Amino acid sequence: MSNVGTIDIPRFARWAGPNALPIAIAAMFLTFAIIEPAFLKPENLIGIVRQVSLIGIMAVCTTFVIMTGGVDLSVGPVLAIAGLVSYFCLQAAMPLPVVILAGLSVGALVGALNGATIAFLRLPPIIVTLAALSIVRGSALILGGPEQHLIRNEPAYSFVGAGSIFGLPFPIFIFAFVAIVMILIQWRTPIGLLVAAIGDNERAAYLSGHRTRLTITLVYVISGLGAALAGIVQSSQVHTALATYGPFGTELDVIAAVVLGGTSIMGGNGSIARTLLGVFFLGIANNGMNILNVPIDMQLIAKGAIIVIALALAARRV
Amino acid sequence: MSGFSFVAILAMGQAFPILVRGIDLSIGAIVGVVGMVVFDLALIFHVPGYLILPLALLAGILAGTLNGVLVVFLRLQPFIATLATLAAYRGLTYSISGRQLVPGLTTTPIRDPWIVGIESYFDIGSWLGLSNLVTLPWVPLSFFIMLAMFAALQVVLLATRFGRDIYAVGGNYEAARLAGINTRFVVVSAYAIAGLCAAVAALIMVARFTTATEALGTGQELTSIAAAVLGGVSLSGGIGSMFGPVIGAFLLGAVLLGLTLQGVPQFTQQIITGAILLAAIGYDRLLLRRRQLSPGVAGAG
Amino acid sequence: MVAPLVRGTGLTKVYGDLTALNEVNFSVMPGEVRALIGSNGAGKSTLIKILTGAITPTRGTVEIGGEIAPFGDPKEMIRRGVACIYQHSNLAPTMSVLDNIFLGRQPTRYLGLVDTRAQLKEAQALLEKHEIDLDLKAPVGELPTVKQKEVEIMKALALNARVILMDEPTGWLAASEVTKLHATVRMLKSRGVGIVYISHVLDEIFAVCDTMTILRDARVVAENTVAEANREWVVNVMVGEKLARESAQAAHEKRRPRGTGEIRLKADRLTKRGVFEDVSFELYAGEILCITGLIGSKRTEMVRTLFGSDRFDSGTLEIEGKSVSFAGPDQAMSCGVGFVPEDRHREGLMLDMTVTENLAMAMLDRFRRGILLDRAGMTDSGRRAIKALSISPPDGRRPVKLLSGGNQQKVLVGKWLSRSPRILILDEPTVGVDVGAKAEIYAILRREREIGAAVLVVSSDLEEVMTIADRIGVMVSGRLISIHDADTVQMDAIVREIGGGA
Repeated sequence: MSNVGTIDIPRFARWAGPNALPIAIAAMFLTFAIIEPAFLKPENLIGIVRQVSLIGIMAVCTTFVIMTGGVDLSVGPVLAIAGLVSYFCLQAAMPLPVVILAGLSVGALVGALNGATIAFLRLPPIIVTLAALSIVRGSALILGGPEQHLIRNEPAYSFVGAGSIFGLPFPIFIFAFVAIVMILIQWRTPIGLLVAAIGDNERAAYLSGHRTRLTITLVYVISGLGAALAGIVQSSQVHTALATYGPFGTELDVIAAVVLGGTSIMGGNGSIARTLLGVFFLGIANNGMNILNVPIDMQLIAKGAIIVIALALAARRV
Repeated sequence: MSGFSFVAILAMGQAFPILVRGIDLSIGAIVGVVGMVVFDLALIFHVPGYLILPLALLAGILAGTLNGVLVVFLRLQPFIATLATLAAYRGLTYSISGRQLVPGLTTTPIRDPWIVGIESYFDIGSWLGLSNLVTLPWVPLSFFIMLAMFAALQVVLLATRFGRDIYAVGGNYEAARLAGINTRFVVVSAYAIAGLCAAVAALIMVARFTTATEALGTGQELTSIAAAVLGGVSLSGGIGSMFGPVIGAFLLGAVLLGLTLQGVPQFTQQIITGAILLAAIGYDRLLLRRRQLSPGVAGAG
Repeated sequence: MVAPLVRGTGLTKVYGDLTALNEVNFSVMPGEVRALIGSNGAGKSTLIKILTGAITPTRGTVEIGGEIAPFGDPKEMIRRGVACIYQHSNLAPTMSVLDNIFLGRQPTRYLGLVDTRAQLKEAQALLEKHEIDLDLKAPVGELPTVKQKEVEIMKALALNARVILMDEPTGWLAASEVTKLHATVRMLKSRGVGIVYISHVLDEIFAVCDTMTILRDARVVAENTVAEANREWVVNVMVGEKLARESAQAAHEKRRPRGTGEIRLKADRLTKRGVFEDVSFELYAGEILCITGLIGSKRTEMVRTLFGSDRFDSGTLEIEGKSVSFAGPDQAMSCGVGFVPEDRHREGLMLDMTVTENLAMAMLDRFRRGILLDRAGMTDSGRRAIKALSISPPDGRRPVKLLSGGNQQKVLVGKWLSRSPRILILDEPTVGVDVGAKAEIYAILRREREIGAAVLVVSSDLEEVMTIADRIGVMVSGRLISIHDADTVQMDAIVREIGGGA
């Protein structure tokens, strides 16, 4: 890390600061392992990774949005509607690639609309994506009604969410793939730099000749794609498409993971890799709390508290 | 009509944080918490109704104050602070839920007259002596409560120094601060008022259903924002009064009612609410742009 | 002897090793309109902040009406009668004039209800007493700027202000409104109010002020009465005697007006309604053209249109013979134009990003291999730039916000240099930059000139202009009134033109 700054800060504190998250993860891991040995069982550990895959996919795809100082509250409904669209395509006996493409396109479309409204009409991201949340949820309900739609006899599609390779559930591979792609995009393409620049100083980025509005639209498209992919995986996993999937709390989990990972809600520097840490932190915390039978309500309260504390600490660091 | 009063009161509450350039995404969750508090107090602790009412209001005020404190003292962005409290309060609703704690209460209605009395109807027609001319529907007490709140809050906003301070803080925070206004107090109070309104709204709903569920108030944050903005409360702060949210709630209610009568499904209505919100803030932004272009805006030479 | 309304003695403010104010004495008598003059960075804003209680001086005292006043307490200063009307509006635009006058202190009856009648009465009495005409019910945001200034004056008077500081009061006013404002100032003067008139517009100072204090380099360099001074004297004092020395030195430097003779940029009758008018000039390859003038002459607004970050209403712009109309900076950049903006923090740098990243920000394309970004190449290029520009500390991974002002500016300039622009425009390139970095930036500009770039510098710093310019243009109130060859022009002529005299 940088060795800038005055010398009176104890070196451990300076090292610990940015590395607080991995330390916390390790600490939690050990604590849960000691309290409840069942935690360490391979099925449980694999289960953790499988569970975080959904949120993980969404979180890494939304990181760019938050780096530009925006937010995407519509990820939950997009997840649901993507699953529904895929279901209907399956019913229409379309080939698998088309099915998946259709689902993803919905996400991309919603993302593009969000992004364009935010970038070109300059409306605030919270409200735009809040409105989108409502509009997409409503559309999902119209499309699929409140009933569950069972996905039967679709081995190819079901493999996506329920299949496994070498004993590891397939969603883990999808998550890993998406994470690696996003990390590559951030580090090996200009987009990552541009997104951070826009979050840091949009005007300066514009005056440096960059097409900032297109970039902002793009990050929302990516976020929509992530949510759509998660929707396909989930519907495949549980063999059901339901308009109320991705319920309230989903967007909160996603934002929490990104923010815990150190990306500032105000925009600017951020890191997909650190978002991964945030995702695992939440995943381990969730799993541990479930194993210890902590009730859902406490979990919700805890989540709210964690976000507040993390943000307050971050504000202090600045 | 109860439904309309509910939305109107929430919208009025939401207007206050918006007036000071903030927002309260947790207002629906506060409704949930207060509803559950009322449920527990009535059915588990058997607290008499005339005590439950003030306690419920207090709960709402406290919840709102916490929001204000997060925004002012921890300097969190209003949307993220109230997003976090949204989760926390919703979770709290589940934790304190009497329905989970004591099975069997789920089917027990609240009978306390103080509470149930909120859902009473008045035959306006006969009072005014018009029942021979036209059959007027009976007006629920909730409507009068809404009117009373409207009157009280409107007076506060337009006729007290505190109200002026709210407009000042929302219109130009720095100028307000330099003029000696206690801006922190004003902002925290705005969120506290939102909590208070949420509490009143919760009471109305609990009275109507004679029970409270954990899902009470879910999704109402969007409606309250839409109603407020539709009624002219500007997201840029400092503009709007209590007329706005009430009219906005009325318009929204009318539109949705019309849609329901036409057989438009619930889900489409949700879409339309979202679209209305987008249109309203788009228009709000347009007005803001126009305001900024008028003379007198600061700039360098 | 009448006590001055406010008197600052030995006021000094030091920030680390930067002295913002140095032993400044300043006083205002009842009924006196004293001008406070000085370039950016001369110490004016520090002095104002001390007088209004926004900051505490390191040394010195402030007396109000003969009594020593406590520092750092803005409310106390207001209570004692010191009011400031800032450049940016300190009013709540959505509230009425009446409410703004009584902002935060409306008279109340029981229960906190505002006593509108008492408010109205008091306000109307005040308006009558000072012969000011305002519609008390109008929302302030809809009033013309001069009326808004009057509201702020009323606000100050309602608080019994005895001294009113006016910071660049006529920035957005039309000529007729300026006259109105001056009439108000004279009225205040006749009531015994003291006014500190902070401005760059010499015309106004000579029209309405009685006395003047000129600050330069954190000190008071001169005080005078308006009657005994004249414009040239003022500009000379503002700029300093060093200038004469520089002038002499600079004469030894070979000037190249019109450089290689190849016209890179031709502006013809550029006009933006209400901002600048009829600006025409040519910029040649291999020369440095400096456009100077006072703040408010709209030079920044004009050069922004050359880069596409703003648009002009009429006139034509030609780059290397081709007529162009830029819709955005990216178009200007593809024509070879680079622009170093005035405010490096707000428009130039990404403060939380590293030196290397900032240096590469305007030319990411050059590091693009397909869709991939060549970060190694970026780092290399950054290292070379850091060396060439002597950026210190020479660490490409350091976040730019940790660099000194001078080094930050070098990064900003370096960002554009790496594009090898054919036309480089810089707006106030050495504001807030230490002497050493200044010299380095001048050397950089001369190097660019050597390799054939056309350099356009907007600068209010006459020293700087005399040091580096091959040709000097003067803009006054949105018009480019002249361009001179640096080797044949007389300093006095420039000074006179800037001051607005014939």
